[in-house]
Amino acid sequence: MNPPTRSEAQQRADDIRVFRVELARLETEGVLQLPPEQRRAVDAHHDGLLAGYAAAFDIDRDTQARQLSLGMRVASFLGALALAASVFFLFYQFWGHFGETAQVAILIGAALGSLGLTVFIQGRDASGYFTKLAALVAFACFVLDLVMLGQIFNITPTDKALLPWAALAFLLAYTCDLRLLLAAGICCVIAYVSARVGEWGGLYWLDAGRRPENYFPVAVLLFATPLMVSHRRFAGFEVIYRVFGLLCLLVPMLILGHWGNGSYLDMPAGVIEGGYQVAGFVASALAIWLGVRRSWNDTVNTGITFFVIFLYTKIYDWWWEIMPKWLFFLVVALSAILILVVLKRLRGGRSQA
Amino acid sequence: MISRKLTLALGAALIAAANGIALSGVAYNRSGEPESRLVLSQRELERPWSWRSNKENSGLSLALEWRVPAADSESDYSYYSSHGGIPAWLDEKRIAELGFDVERAKGDDARRDKTIAQSERQVLVVLELAGNAWQGAIEQARQRLAHQQSLRQASPGAKELIDGEKRAQERLAREENESSRLFAVDVGTDLASLRAKYPDRSRYLILQGNLRLDRIYRDKKTVVTGYLGKLAVDRINVPHAMRAPFESMPPRAGGPNDKKPPFTATVAVGQRLEPWIEAVGTP
Repeated sequence: MNPPTRSEAQQRADDIRVFRVELARLETEGVLQLPPEQRRAVDAHHDGLLAGYAAAFDIDRDTQARQLSLGMRVASFLGALALAASVFFLFYQFWGHFGETAQVAILIGAALGSLGLTVFIQGRDASGYFTKLAALVAFACFVLDLVMLGQIFNITPTDKALLPWAALAFLLAYTCDLRLLLAAGICCVIAYVSARVGEWGGLYWLDAGRRPENYFPVAVLLFATPLMVSHRRFAGFEVIYRVFGLLCLLVPMLILGHWGNGSYLDMPAGVIEGGYQVAGFVASALAIWLGVRRSWNDTVNTGITFFVIFLYTKIYDWWWEIMPKWLFFLVVALSAILILVVLKRLRGGRSQA
Repeated sequence: MISRKLTLALGAALIAAANGIALSGVAYNRSGEPESRLVLSQRELERPWSWRSNKENSGLSLALEWRVPAADSESDYSYYSSHGGIPAWLDEKRIAELGFDVERAKGDDARRDKTIAQSERQVLVVLELAGNAWQGAIEQARQRLAHQQSLRQASPGAKELIDGEKRAQERLAREENESSRLFAVDVGTDLASLRAKYPDRSRYLILQGNLRLDRIYRDKKTVVTGYLGKLAVDRINVPHAMRAPFESMPPRAGGPNDKKPPFTATVAVGQRLEPWIEAVGTP
């Protein structure tokens, strides 16, 4: 059975590479010696698979190719951002020279044309790098389209524009298997949901950030999405949902832990700040626990990062003024060692289990 | 994974729908008789500083210069165009009628600051063109000049009083001939009742803007008031066909000698309270 996605093909190719290395070791150590005909059959089968994957998905067949791929990913990411910015500035430089009808036609034409180009490239680009470039340009053209319609016709700014932007980003992300576009779509959803929640709470939609609790509902939504909808065929998508979900939960907690006046809660600011500091510790500890339990490295790492930030901001609040600096940094170092010991124990327990 | 054809179809439908909805909104806004139609001049519509020298943006939009009648007539800032401020006419009773929790904002506990910091909301702002508010501003400038003249006559040799009188004369001249005549005179949440109160559609412009609570020291006591902030649409795009008069104008230089080239622009405001320029004229 052929692997249906590029990520699954890459995973199988990696497994084959590891298998070959270990098989060579076992043969050298005299533990295993496959009969020549079996060895040839296995090699032929693997070679055929690798050739097929390379032709269909442009996968990395060895370590060197993998390292080069990392560079290509970075280059395509930076190129995509630069190309999107270029489209923005290109239009701004020349749009004043056209009448309104031509401006609208150019904007819609650019959005449709770049979408068509993305789909065209996707069919010819097995590596996915050029598809990513084209997809981000298509997204930028669509964002530019609605933003400029607003400027040309003096339309009142509205959060509703975030919905079609998110929809196009998700469409491109899921059909072209692009994590960058998924992140763009998620950012639009975060902005829209927090704006709506803020407006229900009586805030002007652009002021949603003034009450960090507006981000909690979207945090739950994002974290729950990969639990409810399987993303097995989309490598790395679940990670992006979980990390953005945790950021929408833990960053507001961190802010509210030091700015109680930003809360909806009708309580003294000191009580709110104390409560959110405790909640921040509990939430990041829970993230670490859940991440270890489900083998979600992203969740563990995000949880640890925020646990450390919460811990160090508290240590700073308590002791920076009253302790000599050498003692303060010694306490920070000791707390880091304590975290290392705890994580080492967690890892040990996990290995035994 | 869905097919490429379906991706293209879905994406194209999405782009078409989003543009269709936006353009339908524009068509609806401009349908029928405009909600208001005013003839503004270079006093109320400011050209951008960098236009023509800015090679990165070839578009042209005019900033709506509007003012808030300040309670403090001695304030230097009360004479200049601005983009917000604390209106003299906005008292606690009026703010409470708009739905703000004035009592809580007046309190002495820590929740007061939270109430004020998170109070911003969208309201309808009534802008009056060359009406009583503008006459009031001119009168303030005249009184200030008379006051400075009386001070100078009492001490004829004092240099600072001579300078003060000169500044007051310049201020009056600016108020009469240069500063914006567009003043925020009321706010509300119901368009129909505001329009009933201000029926002259060629003098009163109603736009969406932001209002938030504020606390100031007035008449020797702390009072809760409102800060009228940004308008939802505060720049109006100049259609390509109407750009010609602006092409021949010199760039803005800034400073006291910067004279604004005269022009008029008919600004209409539609059903969704979104403005557009209908015509531009030069003398």
